[in-house]
Amino acid sequence: MKQEISALMDGELFDDDAEAVLDKLKRNPDKHDEWRTYHLISDVLRQPDHVHANISIAIRERLQAEPTVLAPRSRASHNARWFALSAAASVMAFTLVAWLSVQIGSETAPQIAMQQSNVVHSVSLPANGLDDYLVAHQEFSPSLDVYGMTSYVHTVAHQQEGK
Amino acid sequence: MKARFALIVVSFFAVAPAFSDTGRQVDLDWLQTIAFATHQTDYSGTFVYQHNGHMETARITHISDQNGEHEKLENLEGPRREFIRNNNEILWYLGDHKAVQVERQYSGKSFPALLPEQLSALNENYFIHTAEQARIAGFDTQAIVFQPKDTLRYTHKMWAHRDSGLLLKAVVLDERRQMVEQYTFIQLKIGGDIERTQVTTGQSATTLQQQSHATPSEISTQTAMNDWKVVAVPSGFKKIMEMRRPLPGKKTDVLHFVFSDGLAGISVFIETLGNHFNRKLGLSSRGAIHVYSKEKSDYLVTVVGEVPPRTVMQVADSVRYKGQ
Repeated sequence: MKQEISALMDGELFDDDAEAVLDKLKRNPDKHDEWRTYHLISDVLRQPDHVHANISIAIRERLQAEPTVLAPRSRASHNARWFALSAAASVMAFTLVAWLSVQIGSETAPQIAMQQSNVVHSVSLPANGLDDYLVAHQEFSPSLDVYGMTSYVHTVAHQQEGK
Repeated sequence: MKARFALIVVSFFAVAPAFSDTGRQVDLDWLQTIAFATHQTDYSGTFVYQHNGHMETARITHISDQNGEHEKLENLEGPRREFIRNNNEILWYLGDHKAVQVERQYSGKSFPALLPEQLSALNENYFIHTAEQARIAGFDTQAIVFQPKDTLRYTHKMWAHRDSGLLLKAVVLDERRQMVEQYTFIQLKIGGDIERTQVTTGQSATTLQQQSHATPSEISTQTAMNDWKVVAVPSGFKKIMEMRRPLPGKKTDVLHFVFSDGLAGISVFIETLGNHFNRKLGLSSRGAIHVYSKEKSDYLVTVVGEVPPRTVMQVADSVRYKGQ
């Protein structure tokens, strides 16, 4: 019978013989298991990703047979394992960040500064100290060529700002 | 027929670029005219200066004669502060008693013309075009816009007197078209009889504190300059000067680098930390000029420029010492 089912599935039987085998299967339900098994084998061989093996019943029976254990778990070893895992994860994350910052750090630093500066509202300069820098800068700034002495207004005017 | 068609094609290609060139040349010519007028015209006037929500008035007088340029800028509000310039010599008055002499330290620059390199730099970094005509302080003006090609510099708009080329109004705008600073003449006299006394008053009542200042021959441009490097100068800015110089109130010399994009300047000052007393670090501003100071190991780095805050910060953060 098994050989006949196999031959039928492989399409090796003539029409008459195939009908005879199918009739036999209809009449004998106990042969259905064989039919399913051969289809399972066939499926596994052809499409291993989509196997229709109904194992849930077997598993449920095995679980019901198992005795229920009422005892505290061995926490120590469990925690140690998790701690080790999380520590390893932290180290990896840190390494990744460090690696990224080494890779792109020098390039992004000015960019970050740029974005922040949009938010920063600069304060007015203190009265002393920076005038010297301003005057020294204005001596050479190209704005002097175009604006002339009016560019020095930044230094002349600032006294008002302090009030 | 064929020959005529060819002629039309040839003349089109010959004329079209010529037209676009002249358009640009006119705008650049305006800038030359402004620079010339700023330094060669006699004028005296009062202008309003607006910045950071403040508004104040100042007076400027400028005379150009056979001895050169004489100029005075004074504020008209609050404690007296003024600059008096005689060619390269600048006197700077604080209050009623103190005068600080600042000497212009470069003589290679011949006013009033803009250098060709400066004009080409302007062309590379800004879209320059003429805008509307307007009436300011009773004079007819032509507006010229300098639109930057990136956000690392400001937009400048200037209104020049159509006859003399004198700047009667100027505004600096940020990338959101918000005003950063502006000055406008409200009263102006161009040419004619400008009182000479206006540019020479003030000395008699003051004690002159002459600061130590170097002459160009004393400035050594090579010493230790190679040790310092400014890595991230925004594109379009070229180094136009580097030197070791004294600065009023500093015991030791400072290193001074200047970068220019044709219109805006960025100065980088580097000095030992011992020089700085109670200096506030970080960002400060005065109108369109932003200053950013930070410590770099044992040194103080100060960046000053007519550029947005982000630009001075970027430059200051990129200062490196000998491969560090």
